[in-house]
Amino acid sequence: MSRRRFLTTSTGIAAAATAGGLLSGCAGSVSSGGSGGKTTLTIMASGTELGTPAEIKAAEKALGMKLKMVKYDLTRLTAMLTSGNAPDLVRAEGSDAPYLASHSVAQDLDDRFAKSTVLKVGDLDPVNDIWRWDGKQQGSGPRYGMAKDWSQSYMLWYNTALFDKADEPYPSDTQPLTYDKLLDVGKRLTQSGKKSKVYGLGMAGNFETFMILTTEAGGQLFNEDYSAVDFTTSEARSALSWYLELAKSGAAPTIANPDPNGWDWPTFDAGRMAISTSGYWFGGMVVTDKKIAATARLAPAPQFGSKRISTGYTGTGLWMPKAGKNKDAAWEAMEYFLGGAPAKKRAESGAGLPALKSLRSLLPKSEGFQKQAYAVQEKELSYFEVLPFTPYVRKDAVDAVINQVMPAAIKGSVPVSKLADQLNEGINKQLANGKKLIK
Amino acid sequence: MILARRTGLYLVLVALVALFVSPFGWLVITAFKDSSEMAAYPVHWLPEKWQFGNFSRALTFFNYLGYARNSLIIASVYSVLITLSSAWAGFGFARLAARGKRLVFGVLLSTMMMPAMITLIPTYIIFAKLGMIDTYWPWVLWGLAGAPYLIFLFRQFFANMPRELEEAAIVDGCGYGRIFWRIFLPQSWPVLATSMLLSFTWVWGDYIAPSLLLSTDHTTLAVAVATQYVNESNQTPINNLMAAGSVLYILPVLLLFFILQRGFVTGVSTSGLK
Repeated sequence: MSRRRFLTTSTGIAAAATAGGLLSGCAGSVSSGGSGGKTTLTIMASGTELGTPAEIKAAEKALGMKLKMVKYDLTRLTAMLTSGNAPDLVRAEGSDAPYLASHSVAQDLDDRFAKSTVLKVGDLDPVNDIWRWDGKQQGSGPRYGMAKDWSQSYMLWYNTALFDKADEPYPSDTQPLTYDKLLDVGKRLTQSGKKSKVYGLGMAGNFETFMILTTEAGGQLFNEDYSAVDFTTSEARSALSWYLELAKSGAAPTIANPDPNGWDWPTFDAGRMAISTSGYWFGGMVVTDKKIAATARLAPAPQFGSKRISTGYTGTGLWMPKAGKNKDAAWEAMEYFLGGAPAKKRAESGAGLPALKSLRSLLPKSEGFQKQAYAVQEKELSYFEVLPFTPYVRKDAVDAVINQVMPAAIKGSVPVSKLADQLNEGINKQLANGKKLIK
Repeated sequence: MILARRTGLYLVLVALVALFVSPFGWLVITAFKDSSEMAAYPVHWLPEKWQFGNFSRALTFFNYLGYARNSLIIASVYSVLITLSSAWAGFGFARLAARGKRLVFGVLLSTMMMPAMITLIPTYIIFAKLGMIDTYWPWVLWGLAGAPYLIFLFRQFFANMPRELEEAAIVDGCGYGRIFWRIFLPQSWPVLATSMLLSFTWVWGDYIAPSLLLSTDHTTLAVAVATQYVNESNQTPINNLMAAGSVLYILPVLLLFFILQRGFVTGVSTSGLK
């Protein structure tokens, strides 16, 4: 074979292998069955949040369509939207609704809700207002999605055994603790022995925390058109000061001194956290361990100022991309997952509050802690309020700025006034950049 | 004096081995723990009760073997194809004269410096336009395209082979195709082993490409292990099962390494790369 022939053959082999198929090209499916000419819907979700593989098969049977489940990934979603290959349904947190709506990627679902016999507007829990955007503000206007389930995230789960050990009275089932009182209790419940550490309190120090505290104190973080934040107001600075005192006290895991478990449940379950700031959904974990179920109780969300708010910021649910190609089928699937058998099963598990009022009666009440949690939760509902978020950036991006500047403040090298300036600078820069991207 | 020096050296080596093995050791220990023990403080260095059942639960929690099959298919196809295509290209760069060869080789090597993340979304768009999303064709094409590092490895190895070997073959009537297949390739088994091992490991351990290109049903074990050991109710991770699944996940790579390690070491040393 001559040199020229060698090179030609190389090219030929590559082309032949590509065209002829060294491999079938069909990816091996871990579940059986093909589409058989049915509509195929692509749904982007996390893990098994919409169902186990067996439940997805059941959904396919019930809906009469093939469901292609794709792991939620922002990079992939961007790539899919860019390539004109949009998924039919996507999961997201409700705080992203203004961003999705204002960037014209999410479909306005008002007409579909108006006609639906499964997801009736009158049956929608107020939390679904998180998914509304009127062009200026979150909470009103057309609906761009719907929550799957939700919780009032700043309620408190506490371990009565650790309260008894510290001779501390239990929080009231109806009256919220003030944040100052919560801080004192958290400090007293903290045990820092040589061999073990029991955290008095678990509370994230993220944008949501500061937004709630600032609002309860009578202020607000965003300006009127949500294009800038201001952490230098007295209300915002008092919120930052409160959190820094908690973080410096060692009573709670923080970004500067994180809990190796990464989240509250394992630590709470091991009896090493007296209070966890978690919503009703935490009960879905508590029920898995009889020992902790015997001592776990739910308390109302604490209050920072004169205004009592118990928000549910996440409201994770589904939205429909405008560029989706199977919108009717996608809506059918949305009705099924958010109002059909899977929604009922989720409500019965107690791993979150249902997004439909009619399903609330299904919440579990068989265990002692479930009865107590249900009663507390019912009274808490009236304090729910949507705290509008900006359309210009996603919540993750704002939290990234906080995580960047907060450790130095916790370690004591940055005073509150400087921290507020740093937060303003970092977040407002992102907001300004994000605003430029909206047509 | 020599004994003391040697003892000191071994102590340092043992300490280094312990340091590097410790993450793997911790993974194995975690795989045997009960979930409540994982949050125990003080830390339980060894499980109080060894949970051997974690491994069977890890295997049945989702269709582990189905995802392992997917990983095995694409890792095997990719490693065979990329080894052959890289060897083919490396042979060309080492033994053939062509105008601009050095420049092309330079450009090829320079692509190694380009972070893969930069090409992620364009790559998705290209495969989407070609209708190859949720298929294994991207790995076939990547395999056929060759990898700069492996091409470099083969080129270095082939360049060191005596010119007389090639000339004798030409005198005997061999063309370059037969020289490659019958003479050069059979003698390059250390580099072949190295290439197979490296490329298999790249795909077996890759998380980004399958999570970008494949659906949950068709994805690989790497993605499944990282994302599917979650509590059904709230999608929070079940770390001990994830650890058990991960231990099982790395076994094929370890096995492959033990089988091919002699070739791997020889391949890296004889190709002039250390």
